[in-house]
Amino acid sequence: MPSDKKSSGKKKRTLGKARNILSLAVFFLFLAFFLFRAGGTASPLLPGIQAVPAAFRWWGGAAVFAVSALFAGRVYCSFLCPLGTFQEAAWRLGKQPRTGYLPGSPLRFLVLALVLVSGALGISIVPALLDPYAAFGRGAVQLLRPAAAGGINALSDFLEGRGIYGLLPHVSRIPFVPVLFWGTAAFFLLLAVWSVRRGRPFCDALCPVGTFLGLFSASPLVSVRFSGDRCTGCGSCERSCPQNCISLKERRIDADRCVLCLRCIEACPGGELSLAFAGKTESLARRGLLRSAAGGAAALAVMFWSRKKVSSATSSASSPDDRLPVSPPGSGSHGNFTKRCVACMACAAACPAGIIRPSLGEWGARGLFQPVLDYEKGYCQYSCNACGKACPTGAIIPLLLEEKQRTSIGKARFLRRNCIVRIYGTACGACSEHCPTQAMHMVPFRGGLTIPELDPSLCLGCGACENVCPAEPKAAIVSGIPVHGKIRETRDGDGGATVAPLEEFPF
Amino acid sequence: MDRREFLKRAAALGIGGAALLVPRSVRSVFAAARSHPGLAAVRGGEPGEMFDRGVAALGGMGRFVKKGQTVVIKPNMAWDVPPEGGANTNPALVERIVKRCLEAGASKVYAFDHTCDLWRRSYKNSGVEDAVRRAGGVAAPADSGGYYQKVSIAGGKVLKEVSVHELLLECDVFINVPVLKHHGGAGITMGMKNLMGTVWNRGEFHSKGLHQCIADISLFRRPQLTVIDAYRMMSRNGPRGTSPGDLRVLKAQILSTDIVAADTAAARIFGADPANVAYIRSAAGMGVGTMDLEALGVERIAL
Repeated sequence: MPSDKKSSGKKKRTLGKARNILSLAVFFLFLAFFLFRAGGTASPLLPGIQAVPAAFRWWGGAAVFAVSALFAGRVYCSFLCPLGTFQEAAWRLGKQPRTGYLPGSPLRFLVLALVLVSGALGISIVPALLDPYAAFGRGAVQLLRPAAAGGINALSDFLEGRGIYGLLPHVSRIPFVPVLFWGTAAFFLLLAVWSVRRGRPFCDALCPVGTFLGLFSASPLVSVRFSGDRCTGCGSCERSCPQNCISLKERRIDADRCVLCLRCIEACPGGELSLAFAGKTESLARRGLLRSAAGGAAALAVMFWSRKKVSSATSSASSPDDRLPVSPPGSGSHGNFTKRCVACMACAAACPAGIIRPSLGEWGARGLFQPVLDYEKGYCQYSCNACGKACPTGAIIPLLLEEKQRTSIGKARFLRRNCIVRIYGTACGACSEHCPTQAMHMVPFRGGLTIPELDPSLCLGCGACENVCPAEPKAAIVSGIPVHGKIRETRDGDGGATVAPLEEFPF
Repeated sequence: MDRREFLKRAAALGIGGAALLVPRSVRSVFAAARSHPGLAAVRGGEPGEMFDRGVAALGGMGRFVKKGQTVVIKPNMAWDVPPEGGANTNPALVERIVKRCLEAGASKVYAFDHTCDLWRRSYKNSGVEDAVRRAGGVAAPADSGGYYQKVSIAGGKVLKEVSVHELLLECDVFINVPVLKHHGGAGITMGMKNLMGTVWNRGEFHSKGLHQCIADISLFRRPQLTVIDAYRMMSRNGPRGTSPGDLRVLKAQILSTDIVAADTAAARIFGADPANVAYIRSAAGMGVGTMDLEALGVERIAL
């Protein structure tokens, strides 16, 4: 039946192509999300489709993904995970001779257990480091964003040099942290090399998301199957599999490792492999099912339990001058923030001021990479709430602008001994000038000068005063506060502007 | 430059130089003898119409902008605050000025500000960027050091060197369009203080002595026209403002060919004695302009 064969061949090619296009589209969407989006209109919809953020936001998020695995196995891995697509792309571009079947590494269960336990204990560094989405985000923001920003800005300069202004505005840069840059570069380089040799090695040997989904994929409703009568034993399927999970000898596909990339179906010349529904007659592998049920239930229980007890424990981190790190507006408390953040850098990518950077110890070792606000190059903009809108995990909750403008994320201190006005006896007021609430305001000083005075009950901790203070060392510094607060209500604006037309000219 | 042009220029320079040698009292006689006053104060109208009336009193737009010239307008759009917040120059005023410049034959009209808040947000939310574009001008960025060139200020007392926006160096006509506000550091901000937005290293103003630096920068390039927006005046909590209660709707505008005189008049509108504003005093002492409004000639227009 040549015609039948031809149409089935076309169908499987279409399926494989569609999957390729979809996963690449998702990959580039994420890349654009991390590289080009800056503030304002962002929504967490895109990163919200990622497994770990979903689980961090709501324990039921993990359940949704578990149910998806019951239906279609690890479909997340091949369609939605940007790090998976990265590995597969490296593998395809590398064109190395393909390996055949390799047994699954038991290491992955250990990694999953470690991630679950440390996640439950609030040691977010472990899930943050191993979540493929967060790792991808850090890679994009650390490695590619500086280049992308440099490219855009160079193009912008070129246009402006020819009198074309405003067509392509300069983009803000994210603070550059050399250790992180080189660390991230090393990770991605190693992963690329490993991928060229092995396909999707992170997915197979390390990924906690993949392993978790695998627990529910022992016998999914839809999966890739051998149909039974068309196999010629050519081995194309084994060689096409980036997970190395097809055993031709046993005519078996490890369902908990298969990511539904559909490459084997495309590669099979005889049409032996196909995407099929589980038949009624098919007996379930009992051992696999038991293992899945037990593991999956345990994992979900741990997540449920850990979400219930989000503590507002204060940060233990402290620097020599007793300044605590500042967490983004909407994070509520250091406890909530450090417990829920996976350090994906979506907030850093969204911040138009470019003041959100990965931490290197400010949150202690357990919160490595989780962002802090850095007031050296800028300050938190009064009329901006972009970071909360970008956060997929609930570490930063989106605040309405009116709410954000009353939310205190830190406390400024005014060090009079450092102030320009006191030292040189000249006017300054840069801090008060930039202070959106006039917590820092000017009061009379000697010789007709004015000097800053701080009303802490109005201080947002936005860092404007610290950022613009021209004194060296600074006369205004901001420290984070463990639990965010509200500034005092002011009443004097209620009447609105006074309308006072001039009766005559005072000159 | 051909020989004829050289001669013309040399002659012009000679006359200009000679004029400087004439005592101020004599010059002010000449000024008064001119048909136009040096300062127009307008009140009671909308920003655009007040500008039209004021500039007509000063001799019309044609006096300031000639065919084919490039114009830089320097509004205050330093803050990510909406127009009704009064922290930035009224967009309606900027729009009208851009429009009138183009009608007078300007080849290109630019507006820029080295903002305090993030420039994209400030340009946008102040409403000024859109106003400039609507009128056919260009809102040029000023957010990176690459746009600025280091120049020296002859006669500057504290500020000897400064990085100034390239458009200001290249333009034929410079129109300064500040908004009148209370200012925690400088007391009042208006014409001369607004020039800080043409400078890259503005932080230095604060560390070197704000008032003298403001006076020094006003030596560098005196605007042909200063238009001070006092439609909504921020009377406290400036320069950013915290609530509508900080504003007084005055519906006033000061236009002058002399930046010191403009600030002198605006200070009086604010309710202050200009002699107590250190940068006005310094600038007048350095010969940037005059605090003597009557000598300059004032036209008061009530709409």
